[in-house]
Amino acid sequence: MTEPTDPDLIALATPYALHAVPESELADIERQIAAAPVAVAQAFADEVRAVRETMAVVSAATAVEPPDQLRIRLLTEVSTAPIVELRRKAKPWRTTILAAAAALLIGLGGLGVGLALRPAPSPSTAEQVFAAPDVRTVSGQIPTGGTATVVFSREKNAGVLVMNNVAPPAPGTVYQMWLIGDKGPESAGTMDAKAVAPSTTAVLPDLGSSKALAFTVEPPGGSAQPTSPVFAQLSLA
Amino acid sequence: MSTPVARLPLVTAELDALLRQVARRDVDAFASFYDQTRARVFGLVTRVLRDPGYSEETTQDIYLQVWRTADSYNPAAGSPLAWLLTLAHRRAVDRVRSERAASARESRYGAANVDLPSDQVADSVILRDERRQVADCLGSLTDAQREAIHLAYYDGLTYAQVSERLSANLATIKSRMRDAIHGLRKCLGMA
Repeated sequence: MTEPTDPDLIALATPYALHAVPESELADIERQIAAAPVAVAQAFADEVRAVRETMAVVSAATAVEPPDQLRIRLLTEVSTAPIVELRRKAKPWRTTILAAAAALLIGLGGLGVGLALRPAPSPSTAEQVFAAPDVRTVSGQIPTGGTATVVFSREKNAGVLVMNNVAPPAPGTVYQMWLIGDKGPESAGTMDAKAVAPSTTAVLPDLGSSKALAFTVEPPGGSAQPTSPVFAQLSLA
Repeated sequence: MSTPVARLPLVTAELDALLRQVARRDVDAFASFYDQTRARVFGLVTRVLRDPGYSEETTQDIYLQVWRTADSYNPAAGSPLAWLLTLAHRRAVDRVRSERAASARESRYGAANVDLPSDQVADSVILRDERRQVADCLGSLTDAQREAIHLAYYDGLTYAQVSERLSANLATIKSRMRDAIHGLRKCLGMA
């Protein structure tokens, strides 16, 4: 390798790549590079690149798993996948499924892909849950594959269910969610094959005194009470 | 046994493909990209910021930036991992500097290290294996080299601040940093 003709500039390449050059000197360095002979600019760029590739490998040394709710927040933010809101009406097993994004704010402002099915309201249920001081996350594997996670707040009396990579229900059936409380199971809505997209988010607007969220397979439209064994359950206690 | 570096082309090809899909607004690809890189990013940010709340916020900002700017990733300019961690480190350092500027006494960012409970440490076997090899290579540097890298990269000090902290002149600090990177590259089989 030919020794660059501007050792002072090249000596700054490593600090520059490590973000160890103060803001006030950056413009000057970049000006010098622009004015430097091609070989010098190339040597500087090569060294910056080598430092960055090295530190990318070194990042294994400090790796730490982030909290689960960060994944949920991010996917909620970027998701344009169908989002389902489940509401318990007078007939508790009836479900209202609002397609795409009615309930959760999709924070894609500036991207031109945001859907606004209703005007930006006060913080959505999901946002209130995420921001609640008593927010908790429970997560479990679904035996047939995939994960179900509930982020919930007793204070807000609400939760957000996120299903990832859950296999869709068999044709002619739906998954039904049940909040299990003192008075037994109460329907929290259904999801059909279409709703169980690779990643599905549903708001559980009224947790009441429920101790767990359970899943069963039911006929289309759901049932008043579970008619099949619970195949997955998340404790909300 | 394969070294971290030997595995890099595979990781690079996979992340490269995912980033292309992310640029086309593919949420599943974004989730996979996040899952494959989150421990590296969150760990680095936590190491720099030393505050769980700030680290979570900053990590979220970093990945939203990935979502918005995946199409600006240029494979000719470096690996996806280097692109991501450069972006992550930049944000973490910006944050730590602005917090320091806001805090006259710098009380929040003392010299104390945060010890992480072992169950929080990244649990992937591959990452554990890599962690050990990288730690060995960091251990192979001289104390002076390691200190210079630590203060600059993990504590977010500028090279001038590092030189003050270590009472060494600027040229010495710059060459220690450079030698440290050369030593790491050699040890990791990258040079």
